[in-house]
Amino acid sequence: MTAPLRIVLIGYGLVGARFVEELLPDVAAGRITLTVVGGEPVEAYNRVLVAEYAVGNTDLDAMLVGDRSAAESAGARVLLGVAATAIDRDAQVVRCSNGDELPYDRVVLATGARANTPTLDALDRPRRDPDSLRKHTATLVARDDALPGGITALRDLDDARRVLAAVRGRRRIVVLGAGVLGLELALAAAHAGAQVCVVHHGPIPMARNLDRGGGHVLRSALRRAGVTVVAHSRAEAVGYRTEPDGTRRFDLLVTADGKQLRGDLLVLSCGVSPRNELATLAGLRTATGVVVGPDLRSWTDPDVYAIGDCAQVVERTPETAGRRDLPGAPSGLVAPGWRQASWLAAALADEAAARADGDPVPGSRPALPAERDAIVMLKAEHVDVVAVGDVSADPWDDDALSPRRRVAQWADPEHLRYVKMVTEGGVLTGFACVGMPRTAAELTLLYDRGGELPADRSLLLRFDGPDDDPAADADAFAPDATVCWCNGVTVAAIEASHACGNATVECVGRDTRAGTGCGGCRGRIAEILARAAEADGALTA
Amino acid sequence: MTDRPAPTHCPYCALQCAMTLTPTDASGAAAPTDAPPVTVAGRDFPTNRGGLCKKGWTSAELLRAPSRLGAPLVRGADGALHEASWDEALDLVAGRLRDIRERHGADAVGVFGGGGLTNEKAYLLGKFARLALGTSRIDYNGRYCMSSAAAAGNRAFGVDRGLPFPLADLDDAETILLLGTNVAETMPPFIGHLAGAQAAGGLIVVDPRRTATAKLTDDGRGLHVQPAPGTDLPLLLGLAHVVIAERLVDTAYVAERTTGYDAVRRSVAPWWPERVQSVTGVPATTLRRLARRLASGGRTFVLTGRGVEQHVDGTDTATAAINLALLLGLPGRPGSGYGTLTGQGNGQGGREHGQKCDQLPGYRKITDPAARAHVAAVWGVDADDLPGPGVPAIELLASLGRPGGVRALLVHGSNLVVSSPNAGAVRRAVDALDLLVVCDFVLSETAALADVVLPVLQWAEEEGTMTNLEGRVIRRRRALEPPPGARDELRVLHELARRLGSAARFDTDPEAVFEELRLASEGGIADYSGIDYALLDSGAEAYWPYPRGGTGTPRLFADRFAHDDGRARLVAVSPQAAAHPAPGPGEVTLVTGRLLEHYQSGAQTRRVPELLDAQPELRASLHPATAERLGIADGDPVEIANNLGSVHGRARLTADIRPDAVFLPFHYGDDQAANLLTSDAVDPVSSMPEFKTNLVRVTRLVEAGALA
Repeated sequence: MTAPLRIVLIGYGLVGARFVEELLPDVAAGRITLTVVGGEPVEAYNRVLVAEYAVGNTDLDAMLVGDRSAAESAGARVLLGVAATAIDRDAQVVRCSNGDELPYDRVVLATGARANTPTLDALDRPRRDPDSLRKHTATLVARDDALPGGITALRDLDDARRVLAAVRGRRRIVVLGAGVLGLELALAAAHAGAQVCVVHHGPIPMARNLDRGGGHVLRSALRRAGVTVVAHSRAEAVGYRTEPDGTRRFDLLVTADGKQLRGDLLVLSCGVSPRNELATLAGLRTATGVVVGPDLRSWTDPDVYAIGDCAQVVERTPETAGRRDLPGAPSGLVAPGWRQASWLAAALADEAAARADGDPVPGSRPALPAERDAIVMLKAEHVDVVAVGDVSADPWDDDALSPRRRVAQWADPEHLRYVKMVTEGGVLTGFACVGMPRTAAELTLLYDRGGELPADRSLLLRFDGPDDDPAADADAFAPDATVCWCNGVTVAAIEASHACGNATVECVGRDTRAGTGCGGCRGRIAEILARAAEADGALTA
Repeated sequence: MTDRPAPTHCPYCALQCAMTLTPTDASGAAAPTDAPPVTVAGRDFPTNRGGLCKKGWTSAELLRAPSRLGAPLVRGADGALHEASWDEALDLVAGRLRDIRERHGADAVGVFGGGGLTNEKAYLLGKFARLALGTSRIDYNGRYCMSSAAAAGNRAFGVDRGLPFPLADLDDAETILLLGTNVAETMPPFIGHLAGAQAAGGLIVVDPRRTATAKLTDDGRGLHVQPAPGTDLPLLLGLAHVVIAERLVDTAYVAERTTGYDAVRRSVAPWWPERVQSVTGVPATTLRRLARRLASGGRTFVLTGRGVEQHVDGTDTATAAINLALLLGLPGRPGSGYGTLTGQGNGQGGREHGQKCDQLPGYRKITDPAARAHVAAVWGVDADDLPGPGVPAIELLASLGRPGGVRALLVHGSNLVVSSPNAGAVRRAVDALDLLVVCDFVLSETAALADVVLPVLQWAEEEGTMTNLEGRVIRRRRALEPPPGARDELRVLHELARRLGSAARFDTDPEAVFEELRLASEGGIADYSGIDYALLDSGAEAYWPYPRGGTGTPRLFADRFAHDDGRARLVAVSPQAAAHPAPGPGEVTLVTGRLLEHYQSGAQTRRVPELLDAQPELRASLHPATAERLGIADGDPVEIANNLGSVHGRARLTADIRPDAVFLPFHYGDDQAANLLTSDAVDPVSSMPEFKTNLVRVTRLVEAGALA
């Protein structure tokens, strides 16, 4: 038998864990040797829930998705708390911080992304260009940026614990950036009792996802939820105070227009960037992320793959090959990463199986379809925001380039409700929805399925209205309203029975069987009889 | 015997409402000749408390209906069915069966049973198949009803009793979660047991349709959750996610009474509420509220129905519901629990005594050597002479007329060309049979295709036992003599076995058959050995397991579950992306289901004038917005079609259905049979077909000559 296919996976987050899970049958069968290198010293966990964890709403246990023991009993080797420091492509070896050298046939990068450190006076921001990486490998590769006391990103568990201490202490938290992650944290922390201030530039929060109307409604909703929002403010510098032990600690954030925002903790929420540095050092093509084709293979080395937040999928064509900037930045959302993990695991399993049987390497499986714009949802309990696609168009816009585009809009800022739906030929291409959860949920399904919107768009608004309850607008005494479910007896049938002289619930029951099933409708039958008797009285009076 | 008032139970659903049948002659009044021969009155019993629904009240209409079969029918050389004597018919059947068996082997003869048969008939049918026919090819229509819930229950608890507690336990509940069940129409007297939860504002109904049951949550009495069809499993994973993430798990219970928590915890970690919202259309806030309500610590029940079970992932969906209940510590806790609502009249007993392809009486496994030895001893045969496991219903039907498949089929208590998925293919397969024999009391759509139709008894004419949805064994009693041309199925089996030369015993007296069933079930999971007719006639409450010399078991799981270690299994499940394709442009999801007025294939209820008048034809429920897009008005004739077939009906516009779905009841035959559109893809564990998420197109039919 041929030797098994040796795969080294670097990165053990949500996407890496999915890759491992799907590969285990082939590992157990001996066709694949799998080594997993994870930088954090814990089982793979659901990073999506880090903000929940950071405010104490959930425990680490509930976030765990990886199953290290299952992986190990299938025969995989799992190194956690170990950083991969270099990929030696000539020797086909991955070098690790613990000194291990892991030989590979295929290496898969699932290193994810790290939080951006913004350019602020008095805050060091390391560069990760090739020279710096070579010079300071130990501090730059597989490491997060070291931040001074009182300043944190919110990406991993250590970050979350710093935030949690501030929340528990009901401290003042300044959040820099009003993207979806920053707002999730701000809302959860405010709900948990912290004092929270969000600072962002531009006129509205979630500016990448929302139009002006949606942004304004969201801002009102944030304020009503107890979050202070400072808009139009470009952060410029941080100031520190000196602690009794001599260390310096965050004290205030200074904005370009001179505002000084004091706090106990500054949370940087200024976007993320792919963790590229291993690829950069190994001489692999990178742009925003590690550049791979639709088959998730590096442009530079067919034995290297990338999936998830570190992967930038670009088809290599004569046109793209010559470009410096490349399109298709990673989405930052988990669903596309999971699809990549599953696809790649299947492709590598095919290859390993063919190899074990001595067959030629199988033809490539159909590539993953290009991802559509991903739907962005704000995970917060009291503010509901869902958005996708380009929602900048207005209902009155007349765009010659998009003759079939139509925009419908509903705005009720007082009640914190807003929705805009953008369609092309009746099919939803984008929407922004604030404060209308049922509507948002239905629009999400319609967007995912490419379904046509009802011609009467207001139907979608009414899901969140009190009249969504058909019972509320149904007249309980309408002639065709069913009174007795067991026997399918209507108001009209009971009134007819009453007209024939059946004046009591028992008599009506004998005549129509109403009330002779579970008996739950007897009260209503009595009401109908009383109304009918009253009407009789009115007639005879 | 004399005709006198008989305390018995309704012929229809598993609620088995108690009723008293009083022969009209016995009342002394000169009854008009076309009146039913008995009058029906509700009788006090814990499930129905004296009430009956429309189906029950009118059940006697069928006893002397002109459509009742009065003599065996045999297909003649002219291709039509002609009356024949019983001897002619039975001789013919036995001769053909022998011939087919000799030429093609014992497995060329198949048996298709039903969940409406009494325990005695179901038991004897299984024995007849294994001994008189020597075939492994037996299965039944319960495959379309309870198989997913049964598989999930067995996997989790080690036993499958629909409700492991008396129904009246629901009365004191504060919270009841109903998943995919429309009891207000399917078993209406049930809703009396929901009043307590309604009063506490805790009736929660999960259904893509705003059914009559969903409307019971109005006015602050609870909550209707309306997920997109086929998304029940992610919804349940999301609820489990919230329960775990928000630390609402009953940790002591999970530690002491279950295994598998870690795997389930990991499997639901990726199902946070917002992700679930994007798949199900149920807002994340609703999900959180719902999880918190379920975990609020009061008396709480989780109940599933066919809506979540009749899927290609029905077993996993039912498992997800059970996992949720176990995380909350409900099963076995007094005043709380998990259950599945059995549908057919004897859907519980019918799945315990050998109609299933892999099963022997007492819920024993036919592959278990000890089980085979026990049953073989009771039957007086060598265990090696018992056939092995057969194949489940869909596979059995697919083999009809095929090389190596079934060439002769005996059908008992089922109208399979209406109730089976992909009914068009089933009709074609039935045509390919060498011999189709149907036992029924009306000429159902399936009987109409038969070579031989044997007229049998109705419920009011026979003795026996049924096991209701609570696992309570009850007595069916005879109120009047059967018409002269009809015969009891026990006698039919006896006669056929004799003609086939079987040495085994096939009693014709129901009580004698039950005595044998007691022995056969003794020591099994569904142990009836402590029950006899005298006990039941005394009014005793007999919930199985009821071992000889012991007592019944109203409530299971108080101390232990039925697995060897006494613990319940939490089983991690996850949705398969391809299981429920979402409707594409121009398509809607077909949801099939039931109406108040009809039962199962409608073979019986469509012959009751009052029920037929109320629901005479197929109506397709469509959302007004969808109808507008399709140019369809209320009452328009419509065609509903997909690659499997097409059906015709009239549109009924209602905002009670989601705009992405159409609802069809499956009670009608011919070109109104909804199952012409359902796929015969099955659940890998239970072999349950997919009845709820097939994709169809709806178009308005322009009637010939009408102005467009």
